[in-house]
Amino acid sequence: MSDWLGMAATPRRPRAELKARVLARAYATSRRPLAWPLAAAALLLLGLAGGGLLWRRVTQLQSDLAATRDTLGLLRQPGTRVVAISVVTQGRPGELTIFADSASHRWLVTCHNLTPNAPGEAYQLWFVTEQGMRTAALMPMDQSNPMVLAFDMPQGAGKVMGMAMSVEPREGSVEPKGPMVFHVDL
Amino acid sequence: MSRPERLTDEEQRSLLARLRAGEEAALAELYDRLSPWVLGVAHRILGDADEADEVLSDVFVQVWRRIDQHDASRGPLTPWVLSIARNRSLDVLRRRGRWRRKVALVEAEAKVGGDEPAAPADLAEASVPGWPVHQAVHQALAALPEEQRRVVLLAYFEGLSHSEIAQRTGDPLGTVKTRLRLAQQKLEESLRYLKDWTA
Repeated sequence: MSDWLGMAATPRRPRAELKARVLARAYATSRRPLAWPLAAAALLLLGLAGGGLLWRRVTQLQSDLAATRDTLGLLRQPGTRVVAISVVTQGRPGELTIFADSASHRWLVTCHNLTPNAPGEAYQLWFVTEQGMRTAALMPMDQSNPMVLAFDMPQGAGKVMGMAMSVEPREGSVEPKGPMVFHVDL
Repeated sequence: MSRPERLTDEEQRSLLARLRAGEEAALAELYDRLSPWVLGVAHRILGDADEADEVLSDVFVQVWRRIDQHDASRGPLTPWVLSIARNRSLDVLRRRGRWRRKVALVEAEAKVGGDEPAAPADLAEASVPGWPVHQAVHQALAALPEEQRRVVLLAYFEGLSHSEIAQRTGDPLGTVKTRLRLAQQKLEESLRYLKDWTA
């Protein structure tokens, strides 16, 4: 619904003299060009539209490539530890895999076959640190699709000793309050 | 939440038909209805009154010339005009290489992705057509968690890509995408009824 977001801006009354100038400029614009400029404009528009589509696609691919490189970079780190965790969510067996890179202090977590959350709820991952539980990521799941998350280890919380996941309200919690899905020491 | 008043379908069709027929009074009517919002978007993005005035002028010239490109079956006139205003404003922002200046300005005000200052005093609710929609959109945004609202505003009003937002906020790219997706879902749900609000 981003179409309507412009209405979030505070309206501003244009200077009174602007209206006549704007309208005069618009009215002076020809709306019925001759056939050949119309054809040329159509060709140009086609080119621009094609270029625009191409540019949009390139931008999307660049974004995907950056994300993929980010993921691969983490997986390729020699110090990356891999921890597989079997979980059961509402009777369904699933699996999480944690790729923990202690060099860059980044983690990658993949989740498979988790039961979709009830409305208003989300899975929340936690770092178990020397200073208690610190939130790692919020994972609302409306469908049971595999999910990949990358995030940084918490700063200033001491050593990370493990990871946990609980079911929390959809907006997340400051500390785990809901039922625990798993809790592992690393 | 009170629902905004809307043009009737007949009024909408009439305004569009008059614009397409080249009736100058119809453009003046549209200007009266939408110019405060167009200027609001431009000013919010550019932060410069003179540039916002230029965008306002460009937008109504473009609407006048390209009204045939508006597909009424895909949505009302207002978001179409506002999208022109947004795109035009972002074009100006990029062309003039003012990203850094804009970012510095916004950060200095410690309002990165935050809400705008209150409306100027001369713009009372009753005097601005579409004010109820403004309130509805604000309420929908206010209902979002702070971190989701922030990424939405950075994407819409600063035209930042996902990667740029992640860089700006210091959040992981995946988190930014998730927040935008969730915010989009919530906004769609909250503002769905505006689809038939026609101007």
